[in-house]
Amino acid sequence: MNYDFSWFHVERAFPTLLEGLWVTLELTLWANIIGLVLGFIVAIGMMSKIKVITWPLTLYIEFFRCTPALIQLVWFFFCVPILFNVWWSAQFMGLLALGLNLAAFNSEAYRAAIQAIPESHTDASTALGLNGLQRIFFVILPQALLLAMPVLITNGIGIFQQSALVALISVEDLMYQGRYLSSQTFRPIETLTLVALMYFAVSFPVSLTVTYLERRTKRLLAT
Amino acid sequence: MALDFAFLLDFRWVLLKGLWTTLQFVTLALVIGLVWGFVLSLFRTSSNWVIYSLSTIYVEFFRGTPVLIQLFWIFFCLPLFLDVNLSDFTSVVIALSLYSGAITSESFRAALKSIESSQHDACIALGLPPTVRTLFVILPQAVLRAIPNLLSNVVSLFKESALVSAVGMADLMYVGQNIANNVARPVEILTAVALIYFAIGFPLTRAVSFVEARLLKVVKA
Repeated sequence: MNYDFSWFHVERAFPTLLEGLWVTLELTLWANIIGLVLGFIVAIGMMSKIKVITWPLTLYIEFFRCTPALIQLVWFFFCVPILFNVWWSAQFMGLLALGLNLAAFNSEAYRAAIQAIPESHTDASTALGLNGLQRIFFVILPQALLLAMPVLITNGIGIFQQSALVALISVEDLMYQGRYLSSQTFRPIETLTLVALMYFAVSFPVSLTVTYLERRTKRLLAT
Repeated sequence: MALDFAFLLDFRWVLLKGLWTTLQFVTLALVIGLVWGFVLSLFRTSSNWVIYSLSTIYVEFFRGTPVLIQLFWIFFCLPLFLDVNLSDFTSVVIALSLYSGAITSESFRAALKSIESSQHDACIALGLPPTVRTLFVILPQAVLRAIPNLLSNVVSLFKESALVSAVGMADLMYVGQNIANNVARPVEILTAVALIYFAIGFPLTRAVSFVEARLLKVVKA
C-alpha cells in the first residue's frame, strides 16, 4: 500500500471527537437506566398470570428483540412525532428507542435469572415460615440479580455499541463526528480508525470485567 | 392524521426485492462467517502465542466496536489500504463476514470448552488416537452444543444487516426509507418494513428456543 498518513486534521479535531464520545456515553448511561428499571418492571409483569398484562408485554419484548435496532430508531424518529404530535429532539428520540430496546433484552435476562433459582429455595423459604414478600425480596431476588448481572452488563455495553446508530438520525455522537470529520478532511483511514479505537477503548475493559464477574458469581453461587 | 396502508401494495415488489438483497447479504455472510469462525476458534485454542494473540485481538476488536464503524471502515478505508477497487457489494459482504466470523468463533470456542475433561480421559483410556478423539468424540459434541448459539448469531446478523443501508446498499431498510421519503408517508411504510423484519426475525428466534430446548434434552440424556 502507498498511503501517506496525516494525523494533523485528526489531532486538531480530537476535542470534537471527545465531545462526540461524551454524547455517546450520555446516551449509553440513560439508556441503561431506562433499560435496567423498565426491564425489571417488565420482567415482574411477565410473571403475572393475567393474560391482559402478559400479552402486550410479550408483544413488546418480541417486537424489540426481533427487529433491527436501526428500524426502531428510524421509526421513533419519523413516526412518533406524526402519530403522537410531539416534537422531541433527535437525541431524545434516539434515547427512547435505545432504552426501550435495552429494556426488552434486559427483561429476558431478569426472567432467565429468576427462573434459574432452584425450586428447593422456594420450598426452603416456606419451610422456614417466610411469607411471599420475604421470600421474593430476601431469598429469590438477591440471587437472581447476582445471576443476571453479567448479562445485564453485556447488554449495557451492547447498547453502547448500538448507540452508534443514532448518528444516522443526525445525533452528534462519536460516530457522527467521525463520519463528518472523515468526509471533511478526506482522511477516512485516520479518523475512522481512531473512532473505532475509541469505541474499543471503552467497551473492551467492560467486557473483561464481565468475564471476571461471571467467574466470581459462579463461585459465589456454587458455595 | 389518517393512515392509509393500501398504497403499500404498489410498492410490494420493490420491498420484496429489498428483502431479497437483505437475505443475500445475510446468507453469504453467514456461510463465510461459519467457516472463518471455525478456523478462528481453532486459532484461539492454539498453543502458538502469536496465532493465539492475533486471533484474540481480532475477535475482541470486532466484538468490541459498533458494526456500523466496521462497515464504514471496510467500505471507505480498506480499498485505500489495499489499493484495489472493491465493489459496494463485495465490501459489504466482507464487513458482515468478518463480524460474523468473530461472533461465530466465540460460539464454537464456548462449545469446545464445555466438553468435560473426562471425555478426553475416557478417550485416552480407550486408547483412541488424537485424530479419532478430536473428530469422532469432541467435534460432534461441540457442534451439537454450539448449534443454539450459532442460530442466535443468525438472528443477530439478520438484524445487523439493516446497517448496510447506511452505505447505500438497496436492502429492505434502504428501500423502505427511500419510499418513505418519496411518498412522505413514513408511518405506514416504516411500520410495514418493521413488520417484514419481524415476520422473519420472530420465527427465527422461536426456532432458536425450540432447538435449544430439544438439544438440552439430547445433551442431558
